[in-house]
Amino acid sequence: MSLLRVEDLSVRFETDDGVVHAVDRLSFELGEREVLGVVGESGCGKSVSFMSLLRLLPETAKVDGSARFGDADLLRMPTSQLRRVRGREIAFVFQEPMTSLNPAFKVGNQIGEVLQRHLGLSRSAARRRTIELLDLVRIPAPDRRVDEYPHQLSGGMRQRVMIAMALACDPKILIADEPTTALDVTIQAGILDLMRDIRERLGTSIVLITHNLGVVADIADRVIVMYAGRKVEEAPVRELFASPQHPYTNGLLGAIPRPRTVATRERLREIPGRVPSLAELPTGCAFAPRCPRADDRTRSQVPELREVRPHHLVACFHPGPDEEEAVA
Amino acid sequence: MSFVDTTAAALSPRARRRRILRRRLLRRPLALVGLVVATAFILGAILAPWIAPYSAGATDFNAILAHSSSKHLLGTDELGRDVFSRILWGARASIEAGVLATLLAMAFAVPIGIVAGYYRGWVDAVIARLTDVLLAFPFLILAVGLAAILGPSLTNATIALGVGAAPALIRIARGEALALREEDYVRAAIANGAGDVRILTRHVLPNMLSTLIVQATVAIPTAIIGEAVLSFLGLGVQPPTPSWGVMLSDAQSYLSQAPRLAVYPGIAIFLCSLSFNLLGDGLRDILDPRTTR
Repeated sequence: MSLLRVEDLSVRFETDDGVVHAVDRLSFELGEREVLGVVGESGCGKSVSFMSLLRLLPETAKVDGSARFGDADLLRMPTSQLRRVRGREIAFVFQEPMTSLNPAFKVGNQIGEVLQRHLGLSRSAARRRTIELLDLVRIPAPDRRVDEYPHQLSGGMRQRVMIAMALACDPKILIADEPTTALDVTIQAGILDLMRDIRERLGTSIVLITHNLGVVADIADRVIVMYAGRKVEEAPVRELFASPQHPYTNGLLGAIPRPRTVATRERLREIPGRVPSLAELPTGCAFAPRCPRADDRTRSQVPELREVRPHHLVACFHPGPDEEEAVA
Repeated sequence: MSFVDTTAAALSPRARRRRILRRRLLRRPLALVGLVVATAFILGAILAPWIAPYSAGATDFNAILAHSSSKHLLGTDELGRDVFSRILWGARASIEAGVLATLLAMAFAVPIGIVAGYYRGWVDAVIARLTDVLLAFPFLILAVGLAAILGPSLTNATIALGVGAAPALIRIARGEALALREEDYVRAAIANGAGDVRILTRHVLPNMLSTLIVQATVAIPTAIIGEAVLSFLGLGVQPPTPSWGVMLSDAQSYLSQAPRLAVYPGIAIFLCSLSFNLLGDGLRDILDPRTTR
């Protein structure tokens, strides 16, 4: 039973340099209590896809496709109705905890504002609930922190406040866009721990957008790998790590430092080349110029997604895990 | 570990911030002087009926064009009216016009500027170009022209000064809104379902307040000088009601016999606008968010 079903989502930006296809026919589903990891390099369209679902993009973005949420289409509902979905049914946590809070108000008031607006709570009820929420996201001394201004909190603390704000109305879906990127590694672990806890205790479905496969391995149930605006691979998390099919996924996995590689002083493998400009994608597979398996067919035709193993989709003509000797 | 630290920690954040601001103010003697002098002028204007030795129109025909004396602190004018009293009464017109004109300008310039900067598009283009056109006219020329159209009175002079000050304020509010709309917390608020009105009133306006406060303290002295100019030209306060501009105007005919009649109101205008300017400069430093911790 899927909570959110996105079909053929495309996002185009019309710029002076021509049309940029930031997202190209992306389809996916999100189930209840599911944690979906979305992985890809900067500019692969992962943030843009999810921001377009809540119509948070500037007006220059042209969005096509459909996004079924309950019995409505997020991309077509009137803005007034969408405002009741934003923050209440689907909540967003952004990458930048340092600047995502309004410096002019106490953090408690900012969370309380969401509660008052969406749930119609009174001031005092909102305040009580805010303290509960701060406690839920494991902020120490929540009854004191509630009256502090953002500049008095550390980065990790602020990200917890942002998560508390996102959870305020008990949303069905929490979209976290690189929630740990701006934070220290130790703080990152705490935030991920918190996310896992939230799914367990509140049953919230979580979309975790990240460029870090390690984060995904830690927490996600299913993973979507994106490259140049397209979904190139999708699989349950164990399956993906056990048997990565797309050469890009293989490349990403090869670039993760592991105890073994550190011990043997093996060089980390990088993916040669760089992400192509979305305004001038190559014909054929977008990954072809960087791909060790590319051939004439790859360079002339775009591979479609197909199911190569159970629940494992990949868009590649030559799928399969890398051979181990490729390291040598 | 000293007990000073424990008292600081015991203070609420608000009290601590207030204490920081107070310490910053005390470290800027010029701003402090500005604050004291401006407050003195405002108090003088409010308390004129009680502290002025004479009423504004009281004539003493035994002391016409008299020099300073214990009876008339700054002497008298050609009708034997006490200059010191008239300067106090005149402060009312000047400060009233200065403050009200600035408030009036704020009241419509800030919403217009915010709407232009936040919504962009053709609304912004129209407002920005109209503002540019109005800014091409020097402030005083604009105010004098408007006052001439509206007819001479203190109310009309205030309106004219307010409208004259508006273009600069529109531009400032627009610039601030342009920057603030890109802030992450505005995006976060949209993602949390906030509507436009809430975003503008809760997220955009409060974060430009310190800029606006500083701008107000710059606009007030300009309006005070503007009021004096309009009254001097006969477009503002009408004699016999006292105003610094009217006093300057009256003093013209006696410039060779009693230049002090022009000097005293001149000093009043000078000190009053200088004090507001110094205060504004100080406030800009004190409220600058980049130095706030």
